[in-house]
Amino acid sequence: MENMYWDREIETIQREQLRALQLELLNRSLLRAAESDFYKGRIPKSIKNLEALQEIEFTTKNDLRNSFPRGMLAVPLDNIVRLHSSSGTTGRATVIYHTRDDIDNWTEIVARSMYMTGVRKNDVFQNMMGYGLFTGGLGFHYGAERLGALTIPASSGNSKRQIRLMKDFHTTVLHITPSYALHLYTLFIEEGIDPKKDLDLGIAFLGAEPHSEETRVRIEDLYGINAFNSYGLSEMNGPGVAFECQYKKGMHVWEDSYIFEVIDPATGAPVEDGEAGEIVFTTLKREGMPIIRYKTGDVACVLPAPCPCGRTHRRISRIKGRTDDMLIIKGVNLYPMQIEKVLMDIPEVGNNYLIEVDSVDYLDTINVKVEVRPHIFHGEIGELEALKSRIVGDLKNEILISPKVTLVEPNSLPKSEGKAVRVIDNRKGENI
Amino acid sequence: MASQVSVFVENKPGRISHIARVLGNNNINIRAITISDRGEYGLINVLTNDPEKAYAVLSNEGFSVSRKYVIGVVMKDRPGALADIAEYLNESDINVSNAYGFILQEGDRAVLILEVENFDRAEQVIRKGGFHTLTKEELHNL
Repeated sequence: MENMYWDREIETIQREQLRALQLELLNRSLLRAAESDFYKGRIPKSIKNLEALQEIEFTTKNDLRNSFPRGMLAVPLDNIVRLHSSSGTTGRATVIYHTRDDIDNWTEIVARSMYMTGVRKNDVFQNMMGYGLFTGGLGFHYGAERLGALTIPASSGNSKRQIRLMKDFHTTVLHITPSYALHLYTLFIEEGIDPKKDLDLGIAFLGAEPHSEETRVRIEDLYGINAFNSYGLSEMNGPGVAFECQYKKGMHVWEDSYIFEVIDPATGAPVEDGEAGEIVFTTLKREGMPIIRYKTGDVACVLPAPCPCGRTHRRISRIKGRTDDMLIIKGVNLYPMQIEKVLMDIPEVGNNYLIEVDSVDYLDTINVKVEVRPHIFHGEIGELEALKSRIVGDLKNEILISPKVTLVEPNSLPKSEGKAVRVIDNRKGENI
Repeated sequence: MASQVSVFVENKPGRISHIARVLGNNNINIRAITISDRGEYGLINVLTNDPEKAYAVLSNEGFSVSRKYVIGVVMKDRPGALADIAEYLNESDINVSNAYGFILQEGDRAVLILEVENFDRAEQVIRKGGFHTLTKEELHNL
């Protein structure tokens, strides 16, 4: 029988051995991290056992922002071969640095993850995620090449070309956002193509957006494929942090690369297995920018039972939500604060707005409503049009998504006194 | 000088009736109404016998309202009358951003309402051309 593991030894390592390995790697990580301005003096250079990790302070997204651009860099910049940065143009950007070995380790766990779901070197992998600063595209790209699959760097968008590539090169594996998979299906129907009969698809990786089990099943039915959920975040490299195996019951977190904890976000104390809490990660292998006890804001729980696949790395549930107000729109993470900052900088708008997120034809849309109050209205249509395009332009610069802007009558939005609702997310269920 | 009020409205049912009812309840007479439509929103321009009062009552009602001076050119109600004025405006290099007209009750005269960019110059030029422009009082008594 064909080998079902990419790296049998590490994937099926005994828990006790794994813990010993983790402690060893953690101490290396702490030592390296202590070289950075941020962690110097904040963390011990070594600890005696894994439990002692819980005494170390958490690292937050704000810490990453505040230490931009080099506060968490742990090696000379000479040794860095790549960075991935969030897009913010308003000074809220974050950056992650990778050495050559970091890229190599990341590539290895992505290859391992893909292999786990059944991808082999004779597969044709069409990577439909954006290439660039976003980690989803490049992370999978190198993993697939390491595995040996024929990799098509299709990147995102251009649906007709995507469909043609699938036909021309007999694509067998897709990497796609779940909303785009659903949207693309309607185009297949328009083109008279039945993906089940007319294509060679077998596997899809659904990433970058939390989605429900129902959405997975729907995509599997429409395309006649196996769809796998995965989890990753740029702070922890990107894709490949946790991945489903063939049983599709939770995602194995690669515990030889990350220590993860599930905590009560309010108290910081660990929660019981099976209980939902915020996921906290510590990098075990990253040299360029180790991060210790990173609070992800993602809520999930540990599935305690051993998995029938034989892998000993523990599984987490689907992401059940966020501890903060982060929105995921078209696979892009953004905070209402980013939008608010842009709008506040436009004096005519001020705090006189409402953000509506919707799903139209399975594609996320964002609509910013602005009240045309008397002080901004001078009776000129041209002036209103100019205001509208200015808002669209400024927002696109910041969040990289083109929002719709709607001008509405005065007093039609919720009042700004007290805690006004500024974001209405109408995408039912898909975010949970 | 004549003036109209422009009201910002979303493109949804009931906006004209709401505005007309507010004006009616306040005993304001509408002379003419036009709509500049931009898809999801638009401007409703209303020429009334009492622009100040129209502005006040619509503002009170919560609308975003703006007052705008317009030129009301009185002309004979006969073929070619509008062409005469339009040609004159063109020769005088006056750019019109919006225009509409209506016939007066007496039957043989009409009023052309013009929104122009340079109001003061335009009004001077039009008067110099021998055309009669409506005063505030005349608008009130129409």
